[in-house]
Amino acid sequence: MRGEAAADAGAGYPRSPEPHDLSDDSDYAAAAAASASIHAAIRSDMADIGSEETARVDVVYEKERVTIHPTQYGSSRISGKLRLYLQLGALFLSWEPNEGVDSFSTSSVTAEIEKYRNLYTIQALPVSDIRFIRRYNPTFGLEYIIIVLSSGLAFPPFYFYNGGTRELFATMKQHVFIIRSDDDPTLFLVNDFEDPLQKSLSSLELPGVATVANAMSRQNSFSFAGSVNEARHGDDAKHGGPSSIYEYGSKQKHKLNDPGRDLSLQVLEKFSLVTKFARDTTSSLFRENHSSGSHAYGRQKQEHVWDNRISDKYKDQQITQDDTSVLSDSTESDELLLVWGKKRGSPLTVDEWRAFLDPEGRIMDSKALRKKVFYGGVDHVLRKEVWKFLLGYHEYDSTQAEREYLAAMKREEYEAIKSQWKSISATQAKRFTKFRERKGLIDKDVVRTDRAVPFYEGDDNRNVVVLRDILLTYSFYNFDLGYCQGMSDFLAPILHVMEDESESFWCFASLMERLGGNFNRDQNGMHAQLLALSKLVELLDPPLHNYFRQNDCLNYFFCFRWVLIQFKREFSFDQIMLLWEVLWTQYLSEHFHLYLCVAILKRYRQRIIGEGMDFDTLLKFINELSGQINIDQAIQDAEALCTIAGDNGAACIPPGTPPSLPVETDGGLYLQEDDVL
Amino acid sequence: MSYAYLFKYIIIGDTGVGKSCLLLQFTDKRFQPVHDLTIGVEFGARMITIDNKPIKLQIWDTAGQESFRSITRSYYRGAAGALLVYDITRRETFNHLASWLEDARQHANANMTVMLIGNKCDLSHRRAVSYEEGEQFAKENGLVFMEASAKTAQNVEEAFIKTAGTIYKKIQDGVFDVSNESYGIKVGYAVPNASGGGAGSSSQGGGCCS
Repeated sequence: MRGEAAADAGAGYPRSPEPHDLSDDSDYAAAAAASASIHAAIRSDMADIGSEETARVDVVYEKERVTIHPTQYGSSRISGKLRLYLQLGALFLSWEPNEGVDSFSTSSVTAEIEKYRNLYTIQALPVSDIRFIRRYNPTFGLEYIIIVLSSGLAFPPFYFYNGGTRELFATMKQHVFIIRSDDDPTLFLVNDFEDPLQKSLSSLELPGVATVANAMSRQNSFSFAGSVNEARHGDDAKHGGPSSIYEYGSKQKHKLNDPGRDLSLQVLEKFSLVTKFARDTTSSLFRENHSSGSHAYGRQKQEHVWDNRISDKYKDQQITQDDTSVLSDSTESDELLLVWGKKRGSPLTVDEWRAFLDPEGRIMDSKALRKKVFYGGVDHVLRKEVWKFLLGYHEYDSTQAEREYLAAMKREEYEAIKSQWKSISATQAKRFTKFRERKGLIDKDVVRTDRAVPFYEGDDNRNVVVLRDILLTYSFYNFDLGYCQGMSDFLAPILHVMEDESESFWCFASLMERLGGNFNRDQNGMHAQLLALSKLVELLDPPLHNYFRQNDCLNYFFCFRWVLIQFKREFSFDQIMLLWEVLWTQYLSEHFHLYLCVAILKRYRQRIIGEGMDFDTLLKFINELSGQINIDQAIQDAEALCTIAGDNGAACIPPGTPPSLPVETDGGLYLQEDDVL
Repeated sequence: MSYAYLFKYIIIGDTGVGKSCLLLQFTDKRFQPVHDLTIGVEFGARMITIDNKPIKLQIWDTAGQESFRSITRSYYRGAAGALLVYDITRRETFNHLASWLEDARQHANANMTVMLIGNKCDLSHRRAVSYEEGEQFAKENGLVFMEASAKTAQNVEEAFIKTAGTIYKKIQDGVFDVSNESYGIKVGYAVPNASGGGAGSSSQGGGCCS
């Protein structure tokens, strides 16, 4: 068989323990020649691309005993056949597990292995979908590769029991454009420029692309396809005929030319090394096929690299997933897409909002609502209504009538609390230092809160007075917590949206139920969050974590402002309303803001590490990012990180960490000291 | 811009005493009564000239509220100078000076130059702390003292530059090992003895570079 011939050819070449640069590796000429010798066309039934015709398939590389180790135990192996083949001018990769029990598997092969067998099958992966491949040739042990797709998905390592990775690369090099990283010899950037249409494009663009790619590899930074927008376009284009192939090419070029898109490289690779984890990640990234009625995509489903049966299989095995609905938006026909930070959607409209309500005004599917808001925010005219739910002031299953009744009751209650300080006379105030100090502080702060926003600008602005009244009333409602700087930052947008004193108060009070810990005198809520952030960076970006450790930055005080007031000072007033409603959905995580911190830090990690920032420089740098952060991108990145981190991410965050509800104790929620202001 | 030295300053004191306004008056030469309250820390920078040498002041303006002390403490590290500010119209801000000073002594390096500023001296009709009291406190604690007004700019320039002069003299006297950046001083790339430039102790234009 030709595959065996290729294997022999590959095995015949001495393997160097140290990987050499691809371009000047003399082995490659010979390997390429060997590969060319088997470049004979054979019919293959393995890739049924396009139902209307079975295109001619040229297998250019084939290797047996390419094996994955789905569990940590060496005995659990699935051996298979890796192939490269040409079809309609494009290069595809496939890996098919062998039928039955592997000759070198122990008898303990379980049903579990069987399920991996199907999960990991690669039917027809366009090589153009590959972002890069890592190749490891350890001095002792098996050589293996890790394939990472543009979408961000990493396959588990493929171990080459018969050798042949060098030959694999030599063959690929004949058909696709590969650049080896200067910095990291294990890393090969892959791009398919061999498509006829792309070829004409690349002949124009190649030098620039190559330069950028080289520059990126020098920095060991990759313009990862950080946006599913692009990945999705790519997927669409791939199946959409010549015109969209062109579009795909240009998209891909754009990706390469945007070095800012550095995302989660280490995350994915790290996860792919832990094979079981990769399986979980892979699973969680799958979109289940809900709407079979979308005929336009029927063909795609058939030929998609991810066969439906993977998700079916996956469903059969009833692997419980915490929450797959992020991946299952029935309003969009992109089932089975690999999700990498979903494209931001449009805000919830009035019509959509009405559709969520039953005749009595209950929200029928609160999760779907939260999902909608998470991905697109809320039209400004609806914020007044929707925020009350998101903040927990209104129950989702309350009726309109119940809410109106509640609002009336709460208005009375508010006035009662307010009268507590309103009734303090000047004479009484003289004997009430704590009140005077508190009031003085609030008076000073409300005139320093969002005064550039039209709603609060100008002298004698009535809204500034309302801001003051609400904060002072809150400091009586929650006397233990009192007032702390930063609270006015939270209240200002709420009052701006609600335009009602009592409603704003109760929404703010609901928010403080979760975020009170930020303002606690001992700062325990802040310390808990900064610690969790440190753990998350350790999980999601170990090199950055190590950098912070070496530079004595692990207290994460440079993120203090981000966390304390949830990015209020980093974005415009309009942007912060959007971001907060996204956070308040608690759709993917109660602590999504921490993933947002990680996402932003990852965006700038190259500069942080490259410029060798110390604590002071870093703090200044982070401060000056204010107004510079791309909010949609940051949310998308954070979503991807949150999805990837999964339970491991959640495990980084101790219970009770704000904005989780605090654990109530007999001693009250907030630490008291005698000298509290 | 090149400099002979970079000094790190930190501005501390109770909330609302005018720390941010002092900084803005010094770096931008303007008074902005309406600005957002400081969360965490804000930065400013300006070049000055002392002894014909360009010196860059990098100034950290901190949040004043008590709750944030634990965070503020981490900013003292490596500060060469501190402006300890109180409000002459609010007695309690003066009463808290000892606690601020204790924090500074504990968390900053021992040779940090501390300048005591009684701010808002334009509001002398509302004065709650006399000049003498301020002077006395400074004397007892070995601080340089000045009353100033961020609103009228009175003594603002002087306060920052006098502090820099004191630090500079300490360098000349060999008090600091300037190669050790934990003292809050960085040696820049400008030739230390370059002639020309502004007259001694006068400031150059408010080039706010970072």
